[in-house]
Amino acid sequence: MTTKFLKKENLGKLIDTLIGEGSIFVAPRMGARQVVYAPVSKFEEIVFDYIIPINSFKEFLFPQTETVAAFSIHKEGVDLRGVEIEPKETVIFGSRPCDAASVASLRAVFNWDFKDEFYNRREDKAVVMTVACTKADDSCFCTTVNLTPDSQKGSDILLQETSGGDYAVEAITEKGKGFMDRFNNFFEPLPTAYSPLPTVDIKPIAGVDVQKVKEWLKDTKHYENPLWQELARKCIGCGACTFACPTCHCFDIVDEGSAFEGERIKNWDACQFEFFTLHTSGHNPRDTQYKRWRNRFMCKFNFYPNKFSSRGCVGCGRCIRVCPVRLDITEVMEEISSLR
Amino acid sequence: MSSLKRQIKTEVKKMRSIEMQKLRSYEDKKMRRNSTSQPLNLLTSEIPASQPRNLSTSIFDISSPYISRLAKIERVARLTEKERLFTIAFEDKKTLGHSPGQFIMLSIPGYGEAPISVSSTPNKRNTFELCVRAVGNLTNALHNLTKGDRLWIRGPYGKGFPVEELKGKDLLFIAGGIGLVPMRSLIKTVLSERPSYGKIKLLYGVKSPDEILFKDELSEWQQTASMNVSITIDKPYPEWKGNTGVVTTLLPPLKIDETKTVVIVVGPPVMYKYVIMSLGDKRIAGHDIYLSLERRMKCGLGKCGHCQINSIYVCQEGPVFRLSDIRYLREAI
Repeated sequence: MTTKFLKKENLGKLIDTLIGEGSIFVAPRMGARQVVYAPVSKFEEIVFDYIIPINSFKEFLFPQTETVAAFSIHKEGVDLRGVEIEPKETVIFGSRPCDAASVASLRAVFNWDFKDEFYNRREDKAVVMTVACTKADDSCFCTTVNLTPDSQKGSDILLQETSGGDYAVEAITEKGKGFMDRFNNFFEPLPTAYSPLPTVDIKPIAGVDVQKVKEWLKDTKHYENPLWQELARKCIGCGACTFACPTCHCFDIVDEGSAFEGERIKNWDACQFEFFTLHTSGHNPRDTQYKRWRNRFMCKFNFYPNKFSSRGCVGCGRCIRVCPVRLDITEVMEEISSLR
Repeated sequence: MSSLKRQIKTEVKKMRSIEMQKLRSYEDKKMRRNSTSQPLNLLTSEIPASQPRNLSTSIFDISSPYISRLAKIERVARLTEKERLFTIAFEDKKTLGHSPGQFIMLSIPGYGEAPISVSSTPNKRNTFELCVRAVGNLTNALHNLTKGDRLWIRGPYGKGFPVEELKGKDLLFIAGGIGLVPMRSLIKTVLSERPSYGKIKLLYGVKSPDEILFKDELSEWQQTASMNVSITIDKPYPEWKGNTGVVTTLLPPLKIDETKTVVIVVGPPVMYKYVIMSLGDKRIAGHDIYLSLERRMKCGLGKCGHCQINSIYVCQEGPVFRLSDIRYLREAI
């Protein structure tokens, strides 16, 4: 598809137009003194000098809490009714290629059997505008899991920063093309001379062989390898990795409200919590923390790729950055890769 | 009376007394002022219980898979101290359409949802039965409900027992505790076509005699349907004349034709390991053993991840599994 040019001032106009039409414009901005993906109301709020936001943008497709039904209790009895959502168009600007690649993973789980309309309607209305990475930090490892800092996977539109702060823009999907056609007055023809900033060079972690890790995990006798207990002993089960992870998708359903009315809500949940698998009878199939950590690692590199043929890990490195005990997923990959 | 109803009743009473007080003070004021100012609106939003509500009870045509259908309790039977059998019918008179071994998500608004296996046979079309032990918030709330009370159901979900494949076989049922609940659906289905099957045996292990479920049906099955029922109690009990010991103690003396027997095992997680070992002694192959796995479940739709065992979602691909399919599935048994 053809490449266009988006000047910085036109980006501001694009935001104003979209917000004027009632759309939500999500972009990297400051929140709690960190760069986060969050809705912005004007161009000035956007942060351009960032590596990767602290959260993933999955919360705009699969919100942390979402009402699926509402109930009311009155003297004639109780009523429960379903809730339907009509999400607004949500433009996610400044996504990173790793985050964009996670969309396919979420789509797989929310559609493999029953269709989760809450997710699907939000995804249908989302336009992912990814900016290729010109910077990375030590936690980034996309190239280790076979992605690149300028990968197109999952993006509707891929942008490349230029030295002047403008963008070379390429539509990747039909949705992206439609979006650019709709705003073709802001997306100008590519100038004859412009200098794109070089994409960052992230070296794959030398000691990691992802294919070997996957093969090793497939062999069920490695389930009881002492390595799991050794490596995951320090895990405190806080679940921060799962909340920060762009592909983690587990949730809980609870009723919340007063004595008279309330809502049935889907909340993010984490396989790292002890209650996640606890039966009412007291039995717990994953009764210790290392088993829960093993489950998450296996989910990323074994269960998920096998069941849905989509990637469980995109190498964004968030789980490494947020872990309070420095339990590094790449170290575990290295450890397994080094096994004979 | 249900606790919900009781709660509502006391709240309504409270509200009424507030209304009366307001009315009185309003009339006092009116008398004092002797004016014809606009009357106070007594049904303000501060009094939610007395407000008429216009919520549609159920919306079936919307696309969300999280929507439950309204149902009513037709009958409640107390089976033991902790277990009750609820006979339930959908408000719209539709059939549940389940197969033996499947489960539904039952909910009481305010208490949440829980997976409950269906205990009745699919032959019963207007109603279905759920046998529930009161152990958690929802199940305790359910035990407070009575005939005519509303609850919400979605499902049925999951894969049940392979009824057609069992035809022509000898069947050995092994149940532990409330494992008999989902098994009853299959037993009743099988007994309704008794001539299609070979010998049928049921081994049933419970903790104490007063925890035996479906006592009348057990003796009826034993007497009329040419089905052999053996019950064992975990520990000796004063008035108990029957077998004692865990359910596996019933297995060694059994004569089983391993070439034409299919075993169906349902019980608590700890039971499976020992039953499977004992069945190994009887030379029963893994592909002739079916079992139903218990897991925590929230969505029933293969999304929320709670019931996941490796690449398997128990709510969709189970809860009934052939042993040979999950023998090497870690964390399953």
